[in-house]
Amino acid sequence: METAELEKIHAAKVVDARGTACPGPLLEAKKAIGTVSVGQTIEVWSGDPSTKKDLPKWAAKVGHEFLGVIEAEGYDRIFIVRRK
Amino acid sequence: MATKMLIFCGSDAPQKAFPPFMVGSGALAVEMELTMFFTMSGLNIVRKGGAEKILLPGAPMTLPQLVKTVQDMGAKLIACSAAFPIVGMKQEDLIEGVECGGVATFVIAAQEADVVLTF
Repeated sequence: METAELEKIHAAKVVDARGTACPGPLLEAKKAIGTVSVGQTIEVWSGDPSTKKDLPKWAAKVGHEFLGVIEAEGYDRIFIVRRK
Repeated sequence: MATKMLIFCGSDAPQKAFPPFMVGSGALAVEMELTMFFTMSGLNIVRKGGAEKILLPGAPMTLPQLVKTVQDMGAKLIACSAAFPIVGMKQEDLIEGVECGGVATFVIAAQEADVVLTF
């Protein structure tokens, strides 16, 4: 998804994991996805450059949908829809 | 589908740093897909100017030559960014062609690999 489309998304849960490095953001994402309903979106903030590579792989592996990443100032905003 | 090998490179000690490339280049030669994951002091192998400082007298090639060889043959090199602060480096210190990856990248690559080696 393009940045402009992602900007319009109102995530059901926003997780600020900027204080942690891998595996922190992954574990935060796993915890957060359990708190939203199927079809809702979570937004994970991470300053670790690996997170934007890791979370799409995790989502694909466990059956959620990765929508995209917005690159903000010094961190990434990663959008994932709960699909199961 | 090609057979996949994943190598975990966790040390810059010469006798640990060289073998992954010898085995890895062999894997590429027999047309396996190769991914190498660098963490802890193993990150020094993919740090700019780092491989040059890791010397193993008697080895057939230097470490920078080995790194270039596997890169030219199509290996995917992944650096563990969580360990950057531990070894005092930043993403921009990585040599060209090395991507950052985290634990999910490693674990999923390990699950999907036919062979996983750790050094």
